[in-house]
Amino acid sequence: MTAAPLLKIEDLRTYFYSRSKQAFIRSVDGVSLEIAKGETLGVVGESGSGKSITALSVMGLISGGPGVISGKIGFKTDSLQRNLLHQLEDYVTITKKDNRIMQVNKEEAGWDRHTDHLMDRIRGKEIAMIFQNPKSSLNPFTPVGKQITEAIQLHTAVRSEQEAKERALSWLDRVRIDSPRLRFDNYPYGLSGGMCQRAMIAMALACEPSLLIADEPTTGLDATIQSKIVDLLAELKTELGITTMLISHDISIISRLADAIAVMYGGTVFEYGPAKEILSSWFTSKHPYTTALLTSVPSAQNIREKGYLQAIEGDVLDTINIPAGCRFYSRCNRVTEKIRERCERCEPELREIVPGHKVRCWLYYE
Amino acid sequence: MKSYSQIAGEIGEFSDLPFWKKADPIDLAYVGYGLLIVTLVVMSYFLGSFHLLPYNPDDIDLELMMAGPGTPGHILGTDFMGRDMLSRLIVGIQAYFLPGLLAVFIALFFGTVLGVLSGYPAKTGFDTGITYFTNLVDSFPRLVLILLVIAAFKPDIWYIMLVVGITNVPVVASHIKGKIQFLKQKNFIEADMALGLPTRTIILKHILWHNCRSLLIIQATLGMAEAILMETSLSYLGFGVQEPTPSWGNMVQAGANYFMQGKFWPSTAPALAILFTILGFHLLGDGLNNILEEKKGK
Amino acid sequence: MKLSAIRPIALVLSRELTITALLLLGVSFVVFIILYLSPGDPFSVLLEGQVSTEEAREGLREAMGVPKSWYSQYLSWLTNMLQGNFGTSVRTGLPVLQEVLRMGLNTVVLTIGSLFITLLLAVPLALYSAVRGTDRISWPLTMFSYVISALPVFWLGYIVIYFFTHKLGIFPMAFGYSSGGSGSAWLYALLPIFVLGIGNGTVSEVIRFLRSEMSRVMAEDYIRTARAKGASVWKHSFKEGLLIPVTEIIASKIPFILGGAVIVEQVFNWPGMGKMAWQAAQDRDYPVIMGVAILAAVLVRLGSLFQSVVYVAVNPRASKE
Repeated sequence: MTAAPLLKIEDLRTYFYSRSKQAFIRSVDGVSLEIAKGETLGVVGESGSGKSITALSVMGLISGGPGVISGKIGFKTDSLQRNLLHQLEDYVTITKKDNRIMQVNKEEAGWDRHTDHLMDRIRGKEIAMIFQNPKSSLNPFTPVGKQITEAIQLHTAVRSEQEAKERALSWLDRVRIDSPRLRFDNYPYGLSGGMCQRAMIAMALACEPSLLIADEPTTGLDATIQSKIVDLLAELKTELGITTMLISHDISIISRLADAIAVMYGGTVFEYGPAKEILSSWFTSKHPYTTALLTSVPSAQNIREKGYLQAIEGDVLDTINIPAGCRFYSRCNRVTEKIRERCERCEPELREIVPGHKVRCWLYYE
Repeated sequence: MKSYSQIAGEIGEFSDLPFWKKADPIDLAYVGYGLLIVTLVVMSYFLGSFHLLPYNPDDIDLELMMAGPGTPGHILGTDFMGRDMLSRLIVGIQAYFLPGLLAVFIALFFGTVLGVLSGYPAKTGFDTGITYFTNLVDSFPRLVLILLVIAAFKPDIWYIMLVVGITNVPVVASHIKGKIQFLKQKNFIEADMALGLPTRTIILKHILWHNCRSLLIIQATLGMAEAILMETSLSYLGFGVQEPTPSWGNMVQAGANYFMQGKFWPSTAPALAILFTILGFHLLGDGLNNILEEKKGK
Repeated sequence: MKLSAIRPIALVLSRELTITALLLLGVSFVVFIILYLSPGDPFSVLLEGQVSTEEAREGLREAMGVPKSWYSQYLSWLTNMLQGNFGTSVRTGLPVLQEVLRMGLNTVVLTIGSLFITLLLAVPLALYSAVRGTDRISWPLTMFSYVISALPVFWLGYIVIYFFTHKLGIFPMAFGYSSGGSGSAWLYALLPIFVLGIGNGTVSEVIRFLRSEMSRVMAEDYIRTARAKGASVWKHSFKEGLLIPVTEIIASKIPFILGGAVIVEQVFNWPGMGKMAWQAAQDRDYPVIMGVAILAAVLVRLGSLFQSVVYVAVNPRASKE
């Protein structure tokens, strides 16, 4: 991690509210992350761990109250430096009790307007995003090509219809869509899921953004198509060297593309470090959750070593009832008697154990 | 500024909370107002049918014509012939109460039958037949159809409410059908069949009683509002109850000339009665829908 | 528009036209059944009305002396109608079709005008509350629209008339006539349009429908994509969130508005087919009321034809479904 971070998330909190339970759903609860320029950060975790909500918070696309309530999102390119949550504290009042957020007042309409203002010329131009379920993410009423030229005309110097079309076609070609001229006038319903995701990628990259957020880009696609999309992303990565935040629950996809990995659980980051350390077997000071996650991947090696496929016991953490101690305590198989007390009572910090590698676990506190 | 706060201590479960705690306070207010109106209407109906009235609604008092509300002895004032407004308003309910119930009953009964027939069996021609029937009924402006029936038969409220009931059948049928299709999607019905329950039990108990109950209540409420609106419109047009027997519609009509002279009350009092009643039924239906139907799905 | 886009529209249009024709046949049959079942044989009055000369009428009466089977009665009536012969009014002796068409035009003006007013009020409020939810601005306005919609439309008419005669000094006596100067004649013509547009229970229903459709669309994935790429949310939600629902609600509200027109025309003495229907019901003028019912049904069907055409033109999938 040599280059200055392009995106720096500090202590981000995004909450929702369950009326029926009269309680907060603490979807993102103190997330800190960095993405260096040119790097691909893989964010991995089970569903409900807050990965996608983190990404949507960066884009300012959270709908539903109260949404983002605290934190900082520093975004810095050569020409632009901005806190994407600038002045958030003017719109939000938080009341804590026993160091736990119990009440939030937020001027939502005002904040929404403010976000749109802050994100103007960033959404789509500086940060582009692709989603899961590409078929429903494209506008069903507009031809695919039109949706790409729209982005080009919005964010680049290209204004003329013809020139934008040429550029869109070249991008469709680049994401390996066969006969782009034919596909250009197709509506999304006429295209397969994989084709739609390629079109989404073309649309996202067509304005040459500084950061690409790929939120579960292969989920909802057939297995063979999934690997083709991953191949495409890998190709584009070497070709363009674009900074990427890749979100997936599938660690095998992350392992193919990521330079750094953040492991998320229950709304926080459990471990953050270089991909080669996290994925390797020689680096042993990993978070117990990361180890469990790696051994639960269906791979020939894992099965050969153990004779069976190891699953993580217990259920995914319910982000309404967050315990006072470590979030993983009830499922953890590496609690020692020495630290049990602490694991149950206090939440560990995300602590740097070797340079550039942070873990949130009491095991590594000595 | 929106405020969210978490209750301290144990976190509640959805199913544990009674529905009035889960509901939006605005919806509860709507339902409360609606129930108040329904109670008033039902009470007034019985008061009217047993002649428990402050005055005889036909007693003319030429000394005290067009008195405003709050006049001593006449809480709601008098009309253009000095007849007691409150008594006339109460008696006016007779004009629509039972016929309205008939319309609601027809719509609910036949709507349910058609809805089950078109939604429950796997594949029959019923479905297209009912779509055609719905489109056919929707092709007629209801009031024009009623005028046609009036011309062909006679201006009788029971005939009119028969038409109102029949024209509401497709609405109820489509709701029931939609509900059944939703249950099918969730495999509830397959599960029942797998348990070997008789078809009668599935339809009557599991589909209609457990899942369509609140929907039928809501449709009944909205149907009653429509029936009242039709009755008052027709008696306004002169096809319903005739003077001197009061009905809200003919009271508004009879007061029209005085209204133009700036004596508003004889027309306004029945118009407000219509307003508050229709509003009550609409809000009741809406509130119930929000509390019992929509939010349950989420 | 490209040729490839027109073909599916033409296909759907022909399908819809067939359905419309079938439904109108059904409408004529319902009208027939009602008249056929009614006491006092109004149906022979209808058939008589279709025959003008005294001798022919005698001949028909003779021919019908032995009651004809119901279907041959229906067929002869229908054949006459298809040839444009809707009979003559019992009251005025004028041919029904021409009269109904002449009056119908006034009603169409009233209906379309009031729809326009309704949408002018309902669309902004629906969009606002779809995006913002219920807040300090949208709740009172929505509540107000509920109250306005529950007001009996005839009484709302009185208020408006009273206000204009007493406060503004315009004295409308009948349609197109006013003593307040020539400039106010058109103003007076606007009043019933206005009353039918805001009253009659349509506004609140239109608001509710448009709001729920718009908020459904706003939660769609592709709207999130539009926001993520910095494009206009309104532009992307326009077709599914506004255009299609608006045409849908127009089509489904036309019968209701035509019903309201009967009352409003009565209040304002507007010479439309609603007033005609009222007069005909008073006089038991069967040919006229039947003509009005059929023309009204034609208008309703035209509305839903319009809706399907817009839907197919907008939705690329529709023609494949």
